[in-house]
Amino acid sequence: MENKELLRKRVDELASKVNGEVEEILGMLVLKVKGPYALEALTTAKSFTDIPCDFLHDLTAVDKIDHFEVVYQLTSWKGPQKLRIKAVVDRENPVIDSATRLWQGANYMEREAYDMFGIQFKGHPNLKRIYLWDDFEGYPLRKDYVTETAEQRSVVFKLPAE
Amino acid sequence: MAVERTEELVLNMGPQHPSMHGVFRMVVHLEGEVVTKIDPKIGYLHRGIEKLAESRTYPQFIPYTDRLDYLSSPHNNLAYVLAVEKLMGVEIPERAEYLRVIFAELARIASHQVMIGSTALDIAGWTAWSYCFRDRERILDMYEMTAGSRLTVNNMRIGGISNDPPPGFWDALKSFLDDIPEMIEEYYGIFFGNEITMGRMKSVGILPKELAENLSITGPVIRSSGVNYDVRKADPYGIYDRFDFDVPVLHGCDSYDRTLIRLLEIKESAKIIKQAMRDIPEGPVMAKIPKVIKPPVGEVYHRVENPKGELGFYIVSDGTTKPARLHIKSPTFVNMQMLPLISLGWKIQDVIAIFATIDAVLGEVDK
Repeated sequence: MENKELLRKRVDELASKVNGEVEEILGMLVLKVKGPYALEALTTAKSFTDIPCDFLHDLTAVDKIDHFEVVYQLTSWKGPQKLRIKAVVDRENPVIDSATRLWQGANYMEREAYDMFGIQFKGHPNLKRIYLWDDFEGYPLRKDYVTETAEQRSVVFKLPAE
Repeated sequence: MAVERTEELVLNMGPQHPSMHGVFRMVVHLEGEVVTKIDPKIGYLHRGIEKLAESRTYPQFIPYTDRLDYLSSPHNNLAYVLAVEKLMGVEIPERAEYLRVIFAELARIASHQVMIGSTALDIAGWTAWSYCFRDRERILDMYEMTAGSRLTVNNMRIGGISNDPPPGFWDALKSFLDDIPEMIEEYYGIFFGNEITMGRMKSVGILPKELAENLSITGPVIRSSGVNYDVRKADPYGIYDRFDFDVPVLHGCDSYDRTLIRLLEIKESAKIIKQAMRDIPEGPVMAKIPKVIKPPVGEVYHRVENPKGELGFYIVSDGTTKPARLHIKSPTFVNMQMLPLISLGWKIQDVIAIFATIDAVLGEVDK
């Protein structure tokens, strides 16, 4: 696969520029960078010569207990290249640059990640909760979010024991 | 001459509105009849499926995927089981591969029939709706024969498919495929060739190619904006590379083409099913997989071409029986972003037509 080797070369170059690590998981190239470098990595990946990864396929976050990972799935409108970029974000102060200036389509995906993980996307035009209501407390997909027990959830009225 | 100006009117459409395809609400700002701003509000059907996944085992989660895009449930099953199989490195029997393709393409036909019917209904074409639903009923009967349920089919399993279809299935499938050319002609005559349809939908809601690419739009919507992109061709999964079919691409970028492309895709799906029926081998439908499914530590992203766009599952496994994180990339959630951008300046009744062509299913948008 010529395409794959070329992509590997480009990603290695990019990794040395942004202090990232490259690994291959199940045939997919994964570039792991620190949060502040994420936008630079995405900008470069979008304009790789010959094999641009110019289609932001998915954007989400993962809770890794001691930090968050913002995961970008990139592919291309032309060609089979695929790249996954992971940005490590601090748990106490989860801030990362918004990708909306590169792809308008990141808008809703970032709002979803904000809604579920509380990650602040700097430069997002309208960072509000998308699924849950505005005064909802907490971020449900974080691992430390406490869900209510079955008893609390139950709406069945119980008669006091006689 | 004095120009008469009207006051801006803010109109809440939905969540209970006949043209909103579920519980979708949009706040429409109007200047007379002309739309100046749209603010979509979603989340009325949010059930927290991603959170639920973290407390279910891998096989237990399959029925939940039926409830995403409930008009094409076999497709959602397929996307999920393919992701888990990729993570585990499971090979599935040939017969199961073919049956999966048959069910996935039947789901595509059923979903497109609903889309054509409901788009017609939204612009007051009552007759086309009943034609589409009459024909979709035959697909639901085939689902019922095989899986016992008509909407949430749930017949894919990790490692294959739940059971072989009964003998009556193949006759029903054959007679359905034989009738498809006639169906397409009927839909065309009653809806697409209609002068009122053309007047209401041609050149309405233009989605330019560059904007569509920038918005990460997928599926029939982007293919009607002149982008030839279909995962079945770009990144083939399953056995799709064995079939000979075309990907219809239209260049109108308008609501009419976004609807017409569904009709053309029904034709291509029928072609795939015919080839699959011809080539399907005998044999088992389930691979030998362990009773307790424990994928190795790792992560996988798998995408398929859903009737509405690209459906992706991102699964992070920590080596236990339950996923550590499961993310669903739903196509219509992303496609919905085009609505506020391309509806500006159109009249309120045009917005209904534009929204209908996104073919949103709120079960999938809201997860």
